[in-house]
Amino acid sequence: MPDIGAEANTDSAISISGLEFAHGNRPVLNGINLEIPKGVSFGVLGANGAGKTTLIKMLIGRLKPDGGSALISGQQPGPELADSVGYIPQLNALYEALSVRENLNFFARMLGLSDKSHRIKAVERAMELVGLSDRADSVITGLSGGMRQRVSLGAALVHEPQLLLLDEPTVGLDPELRATFWQHFKEMTDSGVTILISSHTMDDAAHCDTLGFMRDGVFIATGTPDELRRSTGKPDSSLEDAFLHLSKASA
Amino acid sequence: MSFDRKLAIATRIAKEIRRDRRSLAMIIGAPVIVMSLIGFSFQEQKPVLNQVAPALIATMSMFFVFVLTGISFLRERSQGTLERLLSTAVSRSDLLVGYLAGFLLFALIQSIIILMYTLFVVDVEYSGNIWDIVFILLMVTVTSVSMGIFVSTFAKNEFQVVQFIPLILAPQIFLSGVILPTSQLPGYFQTISGVLPLTYANRALRDIMLRGASLSDVSTEIGVLVLFAVAMLTAAALTVRKT
Repeated sequence: MPDIGAEANTDSAISISGLEFAHGNRPVLNGINLEIPKGVSFGVLGANGAGKTTLIKMLIGRLKPDGGSALISGQQPGPELADSVGYIPQLNALYEALSVRENLNFFARMLGLSDKSHRIKAVERAMELVGLSDRADSVITGLSGGMRQRVSLGAALVHEPQLLLLDEPTVGLDPELRATFWQHFKEMTDSGVTILISSHTMDDAAHCDTLGFMRDGVFIATGTPDELRRSTGKPDSSLEDAFLHLSKASA
Repeated sequence: MSFDRKLAIATRIAKEIRRDRRSLAMIIGAPVIVMSLIGFSFQEQKPVLNQVAPALIATMSMFFVFVLTGISFLRERSQGTLERLLSTAVSRSDLLVGYLAGFLLFALIQSIIILMYTLFVVDVEYSGNIWDIVFILLMVTVTSVSMGIFVSTFAKNEFQVVQFIPLILAPQIFLSGVILPTSQLPGYFQTISGVLPLTYANRALRDIMLRGASLSDVSTEIGVLVLFAVAMLTAAALTVRKT
């Protein structure tokens, strides 16, 4: 794998070594190695079925590896780390009959914010962060797709996690909302939060500090967007060109 | 394991069901319609109705509660919220106890509607203490809620849950003494009958409603129903995190 610009970091937020996983007889992850330092946004780019969601499910502890290891701040993923990890699944995964505030309040309780006064503040802060304070009492069924995505993001960061695992959180968002999301993500990484985001759009890729191109369950290249663009050898290459170039080279 | 998480799950479920007006109407209306149909079709043969009523009450309670819980729990999976819940520090017992408490209220309301409607509108004659009957129905409800959760962990969609209804409930209806007394079943079916919760619920309700037995008279049946409830809850707990 061309490991462009990536360096091993002893203070890694995520440390993956030789990670393997198969669904039955079908291999999904084929020996992934990855180090993500704290306070960066790392984009996992790849086509549908490349193994992005499986990788994230391993990092939240929902799937156990068949081989190798995946560590978060040196610890095995699982419920013990839930208070420091935020997760957005591919589906919005919200309770449609409940309001924005009720959803965030519920997930805050699940994430261990049992003190009511602390939780109320956390929920208000999360709603403010995703720009939904004025829709706090709106029921989810009455919200647009973009607003639901924002609620989903709010539910993932209500407990102020140090690591955010986002599985295609920008799918279906309009460009304006996508920019707003990335503004949030930038502010979070500036404050030391690590973000791993899976996507199959190059638009998201351009916003990430570092990227990993994934194909058939392995990273075919990692590096900054600029480093990956330069890998094609052409000065005006896009990330899409780089992905296609590296994908072809690895086939 | 946390009391706050259990309480949060239970109150959330109650809130969701309360806000779904149509489902709420069905929870109340469907048992009334079904019991009316069965009850009033037996109006010319009241002694027969009095004989079958205990088994009918237990069977209908189990049926409606099983369907309510099975479908509701599956919805949690299909909308992705279970996946999200399982990424938090929520434990199996938080999930199961929270669900049980959340559904129990509505399931119990449904069971009590079936009972009251059968006793006071369809006008089935009974002896024994009505609170003893309610207690046995509570046991049936707890077992059915646990069974609904357990079975829904094996289904990927609503269609599959519906397929489980005849698979789980039909043997109980045919082999628990609802149609034929268990003593008249072939030997191998009597063995199967001995491991079905509805057999014990029917037996206890018959003893109370037809013979005026007390709870202590049916303590064996209660013990077996408690065992079933615990076994189903344990089985649900073991499978829920693997979904």
